[in-house]
Amino acid sequence: MLNIAERYSFIGKDIPRRDADSKVRGLLEFSTDISVPGMYYGRIVYSPHPFADIEEIDTREAESMGAVVITPKDVPSKPFNIRLVSVNEVTFKDWNILTFSPRYLGDPVAAVAAPSEELAQKAAESIKFKFRKVYDPILDAFESMGSQSAPIREKILKGEEEIPVRRNVGAELNYLEGDLEKGKREADVVIERAFKTNRRYHFQLEPKTSLCVPEHDGRFSIYTTTQTIHNTRILIGQVFGIPLSKISVKRIPIGGSFGSSIQTNLVTLISVALCMKAKKPVKISLTREEDMYDHADYEMHLKLRVGARRSGELTFGELVNIMDIGAHQVQAYPLLGTALGWFVSLYKWKNIKYEGKAVYTNKTPSCAFRGYGAPQISWAVESIMDELAEELGMDPLDLKLKNYVGLGDVFWGQGPTVRSVIRSDGVKELVEKGKQLIGWDRRKPPSMKQGRYRTGIGFGRSFHTSGAGGPISGEVIDYTGATLKLNEDGTLDYITALQDHGGGTLEAHAKIIAEELGVPPHLINIVPSDTSVTPYDVCTHASRGTYVGGEAAQIVKSKVFEAATRILPKAVNPEAFKLVYDETLEQAVVYVEGMKDMRITLSEIARTSWQRNWGTIAATVSYRATSAPPTFTVFFVEVEVDTYTGNVKPKRVVAGADLGTVINPKLAEGQLHGGFVMGWSMAYLEDTIYDRRTGELLNKGMVVDYKIPTSQDSPKLEDFKVIFANTYEPTGPYGAKGLGEAALNPVAGAVANAIYNAVGVRFYTLPITPERILEAISGGGKQ
Amino acid sequence: MIIKFKLDGKEVSVDAEPNELLLNVLRDKLGVKAPKYSCGIGECGACTVLLDGEPVLSCLTLAVDANGKEVITAAGIEEEYAALISKAFSEEGAVQCGYCSPGFAVMSYLLLREKKNLSEEKVREFLRGNLCRCTGYVNIIKAVLKASEVMGGK
Repeated sequence: MLNIAERYSFIGKDIPRRDADSKVRGLLEFSTDISVPGMYYGRIVYSPHPFADIEEIDTREAESMGAVVITPKDVPSKPFNIRLVSVNEVTFKDWNILTFSPRYLGDPVAAVAAPSEELAQKAAESIKFKFRKVYDPILDAFESMGSQSAPIREKILKGEEEIPVRRNVGAELNYLEGDLEKGKREADVVIERAFKTNRRYHFQLEPKTSLCVPEHDGRFSIYTTTQTIHNTRILIGQVFGIPLSKISVKRIPIGGSFGSSIQTNLVTLISVALCMKAKKPVKISLTREEDMYDHADYEMHLKLRVGARRSGELTFGELVNIMDIGAHQVQAYPLLGTALGWFVSLYKWKNIKYEGKAVYTNKTPSCAFRGYGAPQISWAVESIMDELAEELGMDPLDLKLKNYVGLGDVFWGQGPTVRSVIRSDGVKELVEKGKQLIGWDRRKPPSMKQGRYRTGIGFGRSFHTSGAGGPISGEVIDYTGATLKLNEDGTLDYITALQDHGGGTLEAHAKIIAEELGVPPHLINIVPSDTSVTPYDVCTHASRGTYVGGEAAQIVKSKVFEAATRILPKAVNPEAFKLVYDETLEQAVVYVEGMKDMRITLSEIARTSWQRNWGTIAATVSYRATSAPPTFTVFFVEVEVDTYTGNVKPKRVVAGADLGTVINPKLAEGQLHGGFVMGWSMAYLEDTIYDRRTGELLNKGMVVDYKIPTSQDSPKLEDFKVIFANTYEPTGPYGAKGLGEAALNPVAGAVANAIYNAVGVRFYTLPITPERILEAISGGGKQ
Repeated sequence: MIIKFKLDGKEVSVDAEPNELLLNVLRDKLGVKAPKYSCGIGECGACTVLLDGEPVLSCLTLAVDANGKEVITAAGIEEEYAALISKAFSEEGAVQCGYCSPGFAVMSYLLLREKKNLSEEKVREFLRGNLCRCTGYVNIIKAVLKASEVMGGK
């Protein structure tokens, strides 16, 4: 079999991304960089209390300064959800643009706009409140569900129906499969553990921003931080009652997201409200501190119980997932389903019980964070599987390979309603290769480690879905679209709403189109776009390596062949034509095999179509994937623990990914590097901690007290190895699968297992900080 | 007050308040968007510029401190170095979202200008004040080492 680079002209080859130069030189404009003449600066006013009811807001002073002010009275009051990926019937709505009932410290209660940022800030600070009631903040999910707790919310909307909230539980999902009692009876070994994950902050480098510009013809142009320009437009339309044809949301490069802008950001809606009142362009850029109060990961309290026979065959798995979702629901209900999906898709538990609850607290609302619950679930499952292996006297790799959900099994791409059969699986290959590279067989048990510095090797595996498509229309909306047109000189314009977070999604699209039509990627213009000129795209999320570009390219190709039959009249069957990229001509050639005179370049076809008035060769497609195949990933990690200080260093890493055909090897490697460092950070560094009395973040939103890794915190270049499995995904474009999230998901589990292998102590709370390690070592037992 | 300085090779003069930050004056008054606002408190390095050849965090530097001096942003790096850095970053996959890239470019320029035949350790140490959330730094370090090799070969 030819390797990928030999089989294809562009796919599998490293082609530098087109935006790198303008990014390095600082010329590319992000939303924060965009301004227009006559623009007003907006500032948001937050409640000084995390849990209160407001009687009155006094805006007189701000108005006397000349600022435009909005309060909850000035904005629509019907609750909505800022994320529109679920179908309406299962969308839980508890958001308002501004509120009289703040439920966390970042809940916007008013906003101002003024010609200068300084005046806007002064006006914002002058706004006064009279409170009807101030409650003690509830900062713990279990306390929140207790009978003594004040209700954070009493009623919310589910779709269009009003539903009561009982004991601060915003959404629930329970699931049963098989016979749990039978599974328990069959088990020779049962292990039960309780895990708690950290509430991480995305810390995307660009804080959220929005600029809303009123156009002279009554339209609004919006430049904002988002992964989804279409859902942003639809939500603005729904909330303010503006026809969608009057709203253009621009696709602007995004300075990192990691899930933090899957939803329409509140700052966007506030900028629109201010713009409508001020009748001026209004721009709001969050400060880093405001941004840190705006979003965080879901904190999960996971109780896991699993059983196995002596042979290592699993007999049951039981998971209780209590999620602290903060003050609002973004995607709590779908995440309850997805968390279950990750759990059942990791190993064949056979008999399954799941209980999930999403609980309100007075914290920053949780939203998707790269991996969407899979990093958390994988950490817990990979930890307990290692414990189970130890109990059974087995190598954890053997136990995991024996029981994992792989080729031919059913994978739940996004919870119970998105299922597909696994058709490519490189797990065994990756484990085998990784095992050799890390030296797994030389790994010693913790009891044999001595001295101040102790090393340990750990293994973790996971996966992520490539998109949320499927054979049936479930509870998740998942389709996208694009227009591709052949220009008069044979180059291409590609117009799509899909956002590139930096991972190179659109570069991959360009390569697929290049491969399909023989036009080199640098001659394919990825057109700066907006909602007005693009078909609907749900959102760049769930690592969707979609085939939309390829789909459009195939239609364009058939039209090219039709045009070719008009130019070469002897060729009566368009299907007889083939297209190939000619390296000497540096362009595509359309030809009939074995016929020397039946040859014409693509640019000649394009030029002729134009000159003879045949019209533009173009295609617009709307595309939905019929499956959501898993990209499998494995990590082998070697750590060194300093038993005097508790500090841990990653010494060696082997990152393995089965992403089918590797479209862009360098960019794929980059995803795995970044995934490791983010996962390391999750395992070892990050958390947002609240002041129990005031409900404030202890670091007050200051990132000096929110450490993430630096350039000195990853293994040496020679000690970081990346391997790819040699697989082909039949449902993916050119056999490819997505990677962004899978690159992170197994890391915390691998790191936790490595720390255990070094010091012989298991940790059930993330992050595993030096303090926790020291405490555990001196205590000498399980933590 | 009116301050004057050399910005990316050109003399500029601008009216700045005594308490105004260099970052804001560059971005809002002079239209140079290469230095980015990210943390605002000197933690992340996205706003790094050179002030008379020394790296400073423009979010912590007063604009008046630039008076009579030379400021270089990522947009004003000597072309020979800018092209080299851009090529190496691009080829090594050191650019993802790109929001931190101008800060890294400025620091890489300084490092490459001062030293040849860099070691991995030196690069890691020199870039430790610049945060990146996408790449895990691996390809950035590779890119700087590659650029250094190219320089060394000259």
